[in-house]
Amino acid sequence: MGNNDIFESFLAEQGFALFEYLGDGLFRPIGKFPDWLERIWGTDAARAGMVRLGELSPFLENFLFDAEEFWKSKAHSTLKSGNWTESGANGGATPLEAAALRIDSRRILMVQNFSAAFAEQQRWLQTARDSLLEHEKLMREIQKKEILLHCIVHDLSQPLSAMRGCFNCLTVGDLPDDLRPFVETGQRESYRQEQMIRSVLEAFSADLAGQQAKGDSGSAAVVDLAAGARRVVESFSAAFSEKGVRLQLDPTMDLSRDWLSVGDAARVDRIFGNLLENAMRYSPRSTTVTVGVEDKGNSLNAFVDDEGPGLPKDQSQDKLFALFAKGKDRPGKAGLGLYFCKMTVERWGGKIGAENRTSGGTRFWFRLARASAEAKAQFQETQEAKSAKGDGAGAPTRKGVGKALRTLRILVADDTEVNRELAMELLKKRGHAVVGVEDGRSALVALEKQPFDVVLMDEVMPGMSGVDAMRAIRKREAASGGHQNIIGLTGNATKEDEKRLIDAGMDAFLSKPFDMHRLFDLVESLAADVQLAGAKVGPAVTGPAGAESQPAAPLRANASTESVAKYLARTIGNNPKLIQSLVKSFLADAPKKLSDVHRAIAHQDAEKLAFAAHALKGAMAVFGAAEAVSSAKSLEAMGRAGSLQGASEGFQVLEARLHELEEELQTVKPGALNKANLKTTASARGAARPGGKR
Amino acid sequence: MLKKKICMIGTNAVGKTSLVRRFVHCAFSETYESNIGVKMEKKVVKVPADEVTLVLWDLYGEDKFQQIQMSYLRGMDGYLLVADSTRRKTYDDALALQEKVTREIGKFPFVFLLNKCDLANQRDIETGAEGALEQRGWQVRQSSAKTGQHVEESFLWLANEMTAK
Repeated sequence: MGNNDIFESFLAEQGFALFEYLGDGLFRPIGKFPDWLERIWGTDAARAGMVRLGELSPFLENFLFDAEEFWKSKAHSTLKSGNWTESGANGGATPLEAAALRIDSRRILMVQNFSAAFAEQQRWLQTARDSLLEHEKLMREIQKKEILLHCIVHDLSQPLSAMRGCFNCLTVGDLPDDLRPFVETGQRESYRQEQMIRSVLEAFSADLAGQQAKGDSGSAAVVDLAAGARRVVESFSAAFSEKGVRLQLDPTMDLSRDWLSVGDAARVDRIFGNLLENAMRYSPRSTTVTVGVEDKGNSLNAFVDDEGPGLPKDQSQDKLFALFAKGKDRPGKAGLGLYFCKMTVERWGGKIGAENRTSGGTRFWFRLARASAEAKAQFQETQEAKSAKGDGAGAPTRKGVGKALRTLRILVADDTEVNRELAMELLKKRGHAVVGVEDGRSALVALEKQPFDVVLMDEVMPGMSGVDAMRAIRKREAASGGHQNIIGLTGNATKEDEKRLIDAGMDAFLSKPFDMHRLFDLVESLAADVQLAGAKVGPAVTGPAGAESQPAAPLRANASTESVAKYLARTIGNNPKLIQSLVKSFLADAPKKLSDVHRAIAHQDAEKLAFAAHALKGAMAVFGAAEAVSSAKSLEAMGRAGSLQGASEGFQVLEARLHELEEELQTVKPGALNKANLKTTASARGAARPGGKR
Repeated sequence: MLKKKICMIGTNAVGKTSLVRRFVHCAFSETYESNIGVKMEKKVVKVPADEVTLVLWDLYGEDKFQQIQMSYLRGMDGYLLVADSTRRKTYDDALALQEKVTREIGKFPFVFLLNKCDLANQRDIETGAEGALEQRGWQVRQSSAKTGQHVEESFLWLANEMTAK
């Protein structure tokens, strides 16, 4: 056997068959026609001196188009066909691959029996695809659960919204003193439940989705553990008392010290709450449960001590905090509480545990790192800002409805009658003119009939949803101009929900159940924006259908056109006490607000700039300071656009305008306010209106 | 005898090989075997005018691991576009593949099969999707390689359509 024969036999044994292309579809086998190929294409093909491969295999027939092009190109590389499976006469299937190449100007087609490598490649691909299918399946399951979770939260929120509204309405009226504590408890507890529902939605949805991102947003970075302990003791005292168990804040804890750790208040309250509910279940009558926080150097240790029977000796910590874990005696509800605590604490990088106390009973504890100095400073600022706004810890603390500075025309679109009626009632008590409709289509009809300053639009409504109605309004605006302020209402409350609604075209977002003060703040600040826009461009707000609305009270171009005292008298009325209070509050707060703007610019924090400039803008708008408001609005726009170019210059303008306003306001400080002047103005206003009264 | 080339097009694990197996061998297997190349099958069917050999190109499912080579579709007379009705993504992928085929190869008769319709309780495609596609003039069938529903009928419809031209 010559060398060529040996080589050809070797190739055939290794699963290669070589053919030389002669043109016109004809191929000549080179060397031995392999047995495996004979089993596929038959004996006739093997014995023939020349074969038309395209007729033997439809796959090769197709590949030969490309091969001929390749040979014509005289390229030196190889053109591969990719794998295909050819069925033989005996029914067996053989994986093959063809390759076209040139050797010494001869056009060669190589067919390879791919069986050996095929199995391995097939196994690899099968594993990869199986994993992909499993992943897809898991993702679908997660999505289904998320949808279910959102539905549950939505359903839970609806009646809660009604309850909160009722409590809010009750606090507005003249309540007997003996009933007020009950109403306030209801108000506080419904607020707590709202926070719980939101926590469930956010925490569990994040868990289910496998979002392992550590920590939450910056706003959730720091919590005062001692304040949290104090809040839950206050909140749970009545329930403990009913069971004959004493609940106390650790008397040895120094509340004046720094108890700031990483975490966020709402969730820390819930952790404390879950631990207290657990303690309450196991505490015999006449025992004491103590809540406190201990200093552990770089971390803080929060604890709930009870005087109950203690943990079983064989109690595993893992099982105690596991999902759906329930105690054998006196089990809780779903077995979610301690799991939530563990998940939340660990997400903040902390630890949680339980142990028997030497003096009897059990200690449940969680340990969190102390907050960094920078985070503490930010937290203090936020607290001060909240305190200035009367919005401590987000809980309902402001009393009563109060009257709005300006009567707004508000459209409330909500299919749930009780929610719609409550929102309308609250807004009416605030002094606004309110119209209610029950779906998106009716909202469009109402907007055709008359203009509204603000529309509150429920997201989910039968017929035409709030989002669809909003899109229809935006479409009209694209043709006719103008901008309708629309606040999206939804029972869902995550940041994703907010982003979704804002991205869809809503101006703002309010999750239900809403706090009445949040409702008023949002509605009135949006309307103030419209007022400012009207002052800047001249004409008043234009309704969606192009109908001109009643003009909003214009701002003062500057002090020479109208004094601030006259402006306030015109917009607020003859109320020197209120005016003095507003001025005093503004003069005390404005430097802080200006400082927030400055700091945001220095830190190149666009989001904070938008927020701080917006806050200052709203405060200055009360005094009709058009130029100052305009400069704040420019900075707010820079913040919202995320581009801080020119912000420093803008700040200088804002600072100058604010100083001018402050100087002007000195003239209306207590004692400087000319009651006679106000009376005159008020008289003139009353006389100008038909039937006007002083 | 007349020969017609039919390609099976769709993403992975939508049931293309099972549909071919059901049509050619009247068989079905619950086990999913990933196809990494092109499987060739033939079946002779009767059409009103004559008999025709259908050469079935069972292409591997396109996914992140393998892209369909458009050269495989050369000489095609028609195709079955297949989606798994329990996986919404495969429906979207099928629509994208159909667009790609029309753009790069041209217009050919095809039937869109929403396969695995025996798993109706797991359907992940909105009701009415078929209607919207039929309004475009598409042939859409809910098929099941497991039960044989609309399998043979779809191949035969395609055979008739291809030979009628």
